[in-house]
Amino acid sequence: MRIRDILVMGLKSLSRRKARTILTVLGVVIGSLSIIIMRSIGYGMENNFETQVMQQGGLTTITVNTYGDIYDEDGNWIDSKQQKLDERLVEQIRQIEHVRTVSPVIQVGTTLQSGKYQGWAHITAMDMETFDDFEFPELTMGEYPTAQDPTAIIFGFNTPYEFYDTTARGRGHNTKEIDLLKDKIVLKFQGYPTNERKKEFSLPLKNIAKMEQTNGEFDYNTYMDINYFKKIYMEYCNTLNLEDRKKAIKVLDEYQQIKLNVDNIDNVTKVQDEIAALGYQSYSQMQFLEPLQQASETLQMVLGALGAVAMIVSAISIANTMVMSIYERTKEIGIMKVLGCVIRDIRKLFLFEAALIGLLGGIIGVIFGYLASWLINKFGQPLFGALMSGNWMYDMENTSFSIVPIHLPILALGVSIAVGLLSGYFPARRATKISAIEAMKTEG
Amino acid sequence: MNDKAETVIEVKNAKKIYRMGTERIYAVNNVSFKIKKGEFCCLYGASGSGKSTLLNLMAGIEKLTAGQVIIKGKNIRKMSEKGLAIFRQNNLGFVFQSYNLLNSMTALENVELPLTFKHMKPKVRRKMASDMLTKVGLGSRLKHKPKEMSGGQQQRVGIARAFVANPEIVFADEPTGNLDSKTSKEVMDLIVDMARKNNQTIVMVTHDRRLAEYADKIIHIFDGKVEKIEIKSEIKDENQEEDLLEEIAGDVVYNDQSRGTIFKEQPVTG
Repeated sequence: MRIRDILVMGLKSLSRRKARTILTVLGVVIGSLSIIIMRSIGYGMENNFETQVMQQGGLTTITVNTYGDIYDEDGNWIDSKQQKLDERLVEQIRQIEHVRTVSPVIQVGTTLQSGKYQGWAHITAMDMETFDDFEFPELTMGEYPTAQDPTAIIFGFNTPYEFYDTTARGRGHNTKEIDLLKDKIVLKFQGYPTNERKKEFSLPLKNIAKMEQTNGEFDYNTYMDINYFKKIYMEYCNTLNLEDRKKAIKVLDEYQQIKLNVDNIDNVTKVQDEIAALGYQSYSQMQFLEPLQQASETLQMVLGALGAVAMIVSAISIANTMVMSIYERTKEIGIMKVLGCVIRDIRKLFLFEAALIGLLGGIIGVIFGYLASWLINKFGQPLFGALMSGNWMYDMENTSFSIVPIHLPILALGVSIAVGLLSGYFPARRATKISAIEAMKTEG
Repeated sequence: MNDKAETVIEVKNAKKIYRMGTERIYAVNNVSFKIKKGEFCCLYGASGSGKSTLLNLMAGIEKLTAGQVIIKGKNIRKMSEKGLAIFRQNNLGFVFQSYNLLNSMTALENVELPLTFKHMKPKVRRKMASDMLTKVGLGSRLKHKPKEMSGGQQQRVGIARAFVANPEIVFADEPTGNLDSKTSKEVMDLIVDMARKNNQTIVMVTHDRRLAEYADKIIHIFDGKVEKIEIKSEIKDENQEEDLLEEIAGDVVYNDQSRGTIFKEQPVTG
């Protein structure tokens, strides 16, 4: 038989038994739909997971803190220890294999003043050469510091915070949104009183830049180049009393953090081990990622298994339909065989019908799958909120609980057709085994 | 008829044994005969005599237990299932007692079916099928389903289907079994007429003596064996004596002696 003839005959015999075809297709729809829903929730989790981790900082970034936290294998905090971070350690870390960039980090709280209004900024000073490697975000205003002009101060998306009216009394502070372009702002350091004989340190901010929103740590910090920062800090120290100066200057000798970037995500743990060998406790997202990823994988497997069960049920349903169809058409098959229909054509006919049921069910399932995904994202929040409560991975406001990547419908369609073919194969084989003469004698 | 008509079907020591529990039933027991091209051969016998089984063996629908069936020089027992299917497509046509039309298809589609199996193009085969249906007098009923037609009409569709691919041999199993005598005669005339035009060989199974009279050669089957073979006078065979009586078809005469030479267990001859 020609392929066209097989297609036409298959379509006709499916449309002749409409009710049963529809019911079987429905079975496949439920199967493929559940696969899509389950997988899409899985992908949603995975995606959340990744974006949340990304927001915390790059996955290849390792941080060594003055107060190093010690965690057990499951990521639970056990203890902290104080460790001395200095230039010597920076150099040692730089020597470790796979380390791409290292930067010491100085963090100092500062006051920003604009007329009678006052705000504050937490300055993070890092080597400007490493900004690119740590994936600093795009700027919406101003420029990153350069060798020619290292004076830039870069505000994260959420900084500077609101400025308060320092002259106002009582609780009802007057606040003001500062316009970084128009308002004059000066930077001051806190903590130590100025030497009476000297003028108080204050730095007018002229070269101001602002980052775009990242939903990550960049949004809450203010950055500067570390060398320029050292310079202005030294100027500040010079305005202090001798004793205070000694204390204040320590900030420059012992860093608050050392940040480093590893060339590949797979090497993060290795580099952390090397740093541990130097006697320092370090921190990376990977530590948290692994146990969480395992938990997420387990959950996804459970979801996947649920989808698979539904698919198996629909496979049984297709097989049942095909078996019934063959019983009904035994006579037809017998006649076709006697008239000289090649067995392979009969098998093709039945396989085509089964595959078509799978395909139809798959297509409808995919359409409903997209619909369901949309509904879950729109109305699923209370449910998922309850299920995932306490899970820091979920940002309840902006989360997509269900994500349907393009390969998912293709997978669902493929599985549906495969289920159709597979569950149609054995009945089809049976059909061809029927003795023609016996088949013709049956009623039909 | 041609004296030296070639042998189209040769049955040699055919046996078909069924097992019913421990019992062995010899449905066809050591049967041998030959059928020549263009011959109208009738397998005649009472029900249960094994004549239908014999027909099925000859058509390759059932498998021989022992012996050989050679059609057009080919031993069908040695053919693969696919080979047999293709052989049927090209050489055999079938007419059944219960018509065996596909109820889901129209008359035209039913007649088209054997051509469909032969990979013919839709346009060509539709033309052939509708021509054939017109020939059997159903030109106006192409789009009708079998259930919408009378028994006679259904059997005409069956005949059209059997002849549409112009097969060399047509097997007919009690083709008029479900029809009244008037319709039976029409249907028989149609079969004979069609076969004669194209010099096609017909093998028909019947238990009806009147239908058997249409045949050139009547093979009497009894208890799975050939009881005797009747050959009509106008057919000349090398083995036959020349003194066969003139005989009129349709005349119900049960005197075998008056009808021709009687062979019992006819020997195999070239």
